[in-house]
Amino acid sequence: MSILSKLMEAQVCLEAGRVTMPYPFQPRTPPTTFRGRPIFDGKKCIGCAGCANNCPAREILVFDPCQEIRVLKYLGRRCTYCGRCADLCPEKAITMSGEFENGTNAIGDISQTIELFMSTCQRCGRCFDEPTEGKRNPLEKLKMKGYRFDDLKNERWIFRSQAYLEGQPVVDDIAIDLKD
Amino acid sequence: MDRNVVGMILGGLVNVAIALLLAPFFQGVLRRVTARIQSRQGPPLMQPYFDIFKLLGKEDIESGETPGMQRVATYLLLATVLAAVCLIPLGFPAPFSGSGDVILLVYLITFSGICTLLAGAAAGSTYSLVGTSREMMMMIALDPIFAITLVIGALHVKSLRLDAVLNGSVYSSGFPAAGLIMLVVMLLAFQAYVGRVPFDISEAETEIMEGPLIEYSGPKLAMFKYAQAVKLVVYAALFVALFVPWGNTFPLPLAFIFFWVKVLVLVLLSTFLAATHARYRIDQALKYYATFLAVSLGAVVLASFGH
Amino acid sequence: MVARDRLNQLKEKFGPAILRSDLPNDRRLHVYIDPASVKAVCQYVFRDLDARYVISIGMDDRPFSGKFLVQHHFAFDADKVLCSLIFPVAKDNPKIDSITSVVPAANWAEREIRDMFGVEPVGHVFPKRLILSDGWPDGVHPLRKDVPWNHVPENFDPEREFKFEEPPEGCTVVPFGPFHPTLDEPCHFRLFVEGEYVRGCEYRGFMAHRGIEKLSETVLGYNDIPVMAERICGICGCVHSLAFCSATEAAAGIQLPPRASFIRTIMLEMERLHSHLLWVGLACHIVGFDTLFMQAWRIREPLMWLCEKITGNRKTYGLGIIGGVRWDITDELKGEVRALLNSIESQWIPVVKAVVGDKNIQARTSGVGICDKALCKEMGMVGPMARAGGVDIDCRRDHPYASYEQVDFNVIVEQSGDVWGRVLVRAKEVFESIKIVRQCLDKMEPGPLVADIKDELPVGRMGMISIEAPRGESHHTVLTGESNRPRRWRVRAPTYQNLQGVPAMIKDQQLADMTISLGSIDPCFSCTDRLETIDIRSGEKKVYSRAQLLELVRAKKA
Repeated sequence: MSILSKLMEAQVCLEAGRVTMPYPFQPRTPPTTFRGRPIFDGKKCIGCAGCANNCPAREILVFDPCQEIRVLKYLGRRCTYCGRCADLCPEKAITMSGEFENGTNAIGDISQTIELFMSTCQRCGRCFDEPTEGKRNPLEKLKMKGYRFDDLKNERWIFRSQAYLEGQPVVDDIAIDLKD
Repeated sequence: MDRNVVGMILGGLVNVAIALLLAPFFQGVLRRVTARIQSRQGPPLMQPYFDIFKLLGKEDIESGETPGMQRVATYLLLATVLAAVCLIPLGFPAPFSGSGDVILLVYLITFSGICTLLAGAAAGSTYSLVGTSREMMMMIALDPIFAITLVIGALHVKSLRLDAVLNGSVYSSGFPAAGLIMLVVMLLAFQAYVGRVPFDISEAETEIMEGPLIEYSGPKLAMFKYAQAVKLVVYAALFVALFVPWGNTFPLPLAFIFFWVKVLVLVLLSTFLAATHARYRIDQALKYYATFLAVSLGAVVLASFGH
Repeated sequence: MVARDRLNQLKEKFGPAILRSDLPNDRRLHVYIDPASVKAVCQYVFRDLDARYVISIGMDDRPFSGKFLVQHHFAFDADKVLCSLIFPVAKDNPKIDSITSVVPAANWAEREIRDMFGVEPVGHVFPKRLILSDGWPDGVHPLRKDVPWNHVPENFDPEREFKFEEPPEGCTVVPFGPFHPTLDEPCHFRLFVEGEYVRGCEYRGFMAHRGIEKLSETVLGYNDIPVMAERICGICGCVHSLAFCSATEAAAGIQLPPRASFIRTIMLEMERLHSHLLWVGLACHIVGFDTLFMQAWRIREPLMWLCEKITGNRKTYGLGIIGGVRWDITDELKGEVRALLNSIESQWIPVVKAVVGDKNIQARTSGVGICDKALCKEMGMVGPMARAGGVDIDCRRDHPYASYEQVDFNVIVEQSGDVWGRVLVRAKEVFESIKIVRQCLDKMEPGPLVADIKDELPVGRMGMISIEAPRGESHHTVLTGESNRPRRWRVRAPTYQNLQGVPAMIKDQQLADMTISLGSIDPCFSCTDRLETIDIRSGEKKVYSRAQLLELVRAKKA
């Protein structure tokens, strides 16, 4: 009976009423667990570069201008808001905020730079305490093995997978020009 | 004589003005009611006016096969539809009724369909040709039904004058068999005349990308949309004048309001049908109309026997 | 019959041709066979043993064994066995007999092996280029190990055009796509239309090919690939991410903690819910019934909000990592999930009742896009397409993964084989998904979310998994490799096989039914003609032709 089913459909529609939300005329706050733009807190950061080594989009660059200074730069161009950096940070210095209206044509609005003065422990010579086997985040176990040699000036992520060996591959990043 | 002619021309302009003013309003009502059925907010009632102004200001990209014919088709369509408006009583007696007659009305309605065909053929792209062929098939099935309705009315009042026919003439003095049959047929066919779901086959957006309208943009598209909106008013007014004439003998302001209330009810009914149905295929629609045509022929026979 | 029995059958028939075999467990079989008998073996497995064709994979194993590998994967659904027949091909002038004449479903897979590896399928029925773009030079095969991932070949010919086939007698050509209001992603069906009837078509696709498999071998590691896999598809992203994780866990022998397994099941079923609700709305939109489209999406919306609350994002859940999951479903969230399921169920029941009795929708969908059992077998079709045609396959039951062995559910099968059958299958699967999630919530015990991975993952192990995505079987194969990235990762989405069946489905049907037939496989695939730019400062207008636009986007920036 087609007319009956049409009336049933009409009843479904009219019972629902109006469900449209007046966004953007009224703001809409996402839930607290929402993964929006990551905010880096330079005061809590210890410079371990765990975030930089595990960013799937290769958007966090790390560079040591000299032995005592480390520069970490979050570019934000291709950030997918996956939240791994926040998961891994041992000092909880990264929060995934609730900001999702991130459109801008000035990359400086989004990129964040942390410059740290790295002092070493007088006994062991390390800058920070590497987490031991039991406490290490699972993601850290499967991270790529090698070392970073990023080019901050040209904003290129460069990863060298085998140090000092001739003929070993150097995995380069795509160079994206932000100015045209 | 001069006063008569001047009066007719002024009356015609008044009709055209009313149609042009009210047509987008009915579109707005249609869109808003559809949105509410779909649990959405819907655009403001004035939106179709804004849309038409916006389109009029856009650049006219002439990308079809024969742009000259496209221009002619567009302007001709709007002109024809507005000419048909002058022949219809819009709550008060039509201005041209003295000189027009039923056959002229049928001719104008058919001609507006032909203008749509011209428009699609002039655009020349694959999808517009498919849409044009579908529109042609629909016209062949539908225009006879409309003509038959008017013929039945003419048979009853024994005159071809519009002011006599467009006055509930389908109902004869005895048992109005033919009238009731045609009432049902025209109600069911109304959606096809105004090109709404479930019978907007020639302009199926998700299937053939707007059909005949595919190569039109800017001012030409504005006129097309306007012509379609005015067509809705024309058909609704015709339907009301033919089948629901009660109340047009009231004094003038009351009759005018009453008439437009009836048109609004019809438009709401059409909206409700459009919102709750899926689109039919061309062969299914043609089968549907073949039955209507047969029934209408039966009604004509009945009418010629005085029913 | 378990995997060992199948191996014995093969050994009995083809004894000397079998070079080596691996039996990781009762449900997986890897057999290395002499390439000379590829056609005979595949014919035996496909026709005599009545296995289902899954995919064909190419692998460049030259740095390790000195050969190319061509693998043909088949599934014995009743026995819960997935088997991989591996044929080593010599590296100089690599070629192997094509099996497409025997297994028609292998058409695209063999063309892809040819494009990506250069292994020529001898005797293929239609050896035309499939994946690589038109201007790509011959002889450069991207997935070979010696081609870098960011290689730009020198002889790229921007002028080279795609050569279309000639239409048959009396037919005009109606181009469907790459741009069409119904399609979300570009694909091009060149329809040969006679009047209102479609007599044939030519398909040209892979316009959104992104080179994901190459990236996984070269630039990304085990940690990063789940995040990228999630972005293969915008609707079934969770499936691809978890499929990769499951395949790697199967290869490396990692055991999932039970709570993680249940959470994966729950999120996969939530994804199926949202996808089916979306599709029913989309199908109604295609036939012009916008109201039901809006209502189906209205019912779906609270599900997206809940997923946002659980995982942090409406669709890209970020759920999977190797060895477990990242997000937990707390007790408070459990209560919300239950409330949501009750609400969706109570709203969906009247919609299904109304749709089932609606003759208007049935008029557009009954008898349209027929895909019967024989076509499903020939073209290896999966998912609701096959189930609507009477083929009883479902990876959740046939090749269980996550926690599906611990929950009860029915597999919905219809016999009509047309679009209406697919509508019914998807509408009723919503209720089954709700049932599964409720059972998982009841059976979930507290525990760790990630398995403890002691060492690095072992190298050179192959893992296969078939996961039931909303559209059908999604089959991932992972070969683990060095430096924490896979040696090879092959993704076979369900639409890969389903699309190959579309030309047969739309033949001798009306043009108006084209969109709903294509829409009923729920295609998930991922070009402009002219672009006009206006220089704001000078007000000058310039229209780019196609050639100029291509040149503009391909120009290398220094």
